[in-house]
Amino acid sequence: MTAGPGGFRLLAQGVTGHGKAHGQDSHAAFHGPGGAVVLAVADGHGAARHFRSDLGSRWATEEFAVCARHFLARAHGDAAGGRGQQAAGAPAGLPVLRELARDLPRRLVHGWRQRVARHEASSPAHGRGGQPPAFDVYGSTVLGAVLTPELLVCWQLGDGDVTLVWEDGPPHAPLYAGQDLGDETESLCQPEAWPRVRVHWQPLTGGGPPPAVLLSTDGLSKSFADRDGFLSFARGVRDRAAAEGTDRVQDQLADWLGHAAAHSGDDTTLVGAIPVPGRATGHEHDRSDEGNGA
Amino acid sequence: MASRPLHFIWLLDCSGSMGINGKITQLNYAIREAIPEMRKAADDNPGAELLVRALTFSAGAAWHLAEPTPVHDFTWDDVHTHSTTDLGAALRMVSEVLKTPPMPGRALRPVLALVSDGLPTDDWRSGLRAVDATPWGKRAVRVAIGIGEDSDRAMLKEFLANPEQEPLRVNNPKQLVAAIRWASTVAVATASTPTVGGDHQLAKPLDRAPTVTTGPAGGDDDVW
Repeated sequence: MTAGPGGFRLLAQGVTGHGKAHGQDSHAAFHGPGGAVVLAVADGHGAARHFRSDLGSRWATEEFAVCARHFLARAHGDAAGGRGQQAAGAPAGLPVLRELARDLPRRLVHGWRQRVARHEASSPAHGRGGQPPAFDVYGSTVLGAVLTPELLVCWQLGDGDVTLVWEDGPPHAPLYAGQDLGDETESLCQPEAWPRVRVHWQPLTGGGPPPAVLLSTDGLSKSFADRDGFLSFARGVRDRAAAEGTDRVQDQLADWLGHAAAHSGDDTTLVGAIPVPGRATGHEHDRSDEGNGA
Repeated sequence: MASRPLHFIWLLDCSGSMGINGKITQLNYAIREAIPEMRKAADDNPGAELLVRALTFSAGAAWHLAEPTPVHDFTWDDVHTHSTTDLGAALRMVSEVLKTPPMPGRALRPVLALVSDGLPTDDWRSGLRAVDATPWGKRAVRVAIGIGEDSDRAMLKEFLANPEQEPLRVNNPKQLVAAIRWASTVAVATASTPTVGGDHQLAKPLDRAPTVTTGPAGGDDDVW
């Protein structure tokens, strides 16, 4: 895998829902080797029985970052494969990467559950040592993406949206599972969570620029009266970033998400990678390197 | 952009027995008293557009407030008692509005708040099956309040459809006011929070325990 002609500029912003003491969303957005980017958002459930879901969502994005680094290391044949594992010395081909993509949910859920179990061992949520870890208390969704000039892979457990905005044509949500009824969602805290993870695998062989990739928690899409409104917003983010620059969009993002949160009442988070044709890897001027936020 | 509708539906027993010891009078008073609390709950949940309806059952069932009414426009006209306790008719009637359409797909879980003081006199189980057969009915946040010793606790628990949740039993007017206030507010907050699970999971229990005291009635309250 090579850096390719393009690069990606990053967007990242989260706002806390109105009336909430603190947020339960987390996000990560950073550059990887070869012009790749990694994006992740997570939405802690926030209800009373999930009173540590802010931790759960933070660990979800952190564990996704670990898994994504491992994936990219294998893609580039680097020795550092994450978690101290030795990766192959040569870049992995698409069939191998595809298997890694399929395996990532298992690694992600395992890593997240280990984090919860360690925390529970030292600080039991229900105050009783020796009990099984209270995974429910930390419940969170997680969405992640790895984007290179040649390959796009997205993973999703629970609600929220992965939206692809191509230069032409309507925005596309490859993992959209239809209209939710109520606020039921899949979660990292469920038993056997990893088979519930949806995966989108897409080699980018068309020759044009890759799509803008936007990941958002459900607080954003649920603030729109209909699905078309949300997709129009995604198109607008990409178009304005292309026309006015990602810095300008980044500056306005908090206002836009705050407006959405006023309607959904929920924490609202968006991260995105906007392709910049002709640039190298887009490291410069990015103010949204890896981080977590509410 | 727009907030998501949260439909709150009262299912009120207006059978003849509700006329004994002023129960229906106290029910009307309790709902009227709860309106400011409901408005506050709505204000605390900006993602929800709280819409209220009320359906009564006695000899048959009828909408007392048929239009989904924004809580800030919601006022209460008294309900009155009649003969029997046809809960099944009420459940079948409410199941019709829990289908999609007329319920929008983009909504928060509806709240079904049942208040009853006696035993149903019709085939209420078929009505409950009709509710459970609708996509929104099986996801609804359900609250059940039994008034007095004669309320059918087993029926109320079956209506809740959740072994982790218990119906509220109220034995005097003070408790009824507290229970109605609790149902009006906590259920709204619960409907606005996510649940973990798939399509086949019934509604989760309410997050917060009710604040209705279970001790003996104090002061001048009548005991039901």
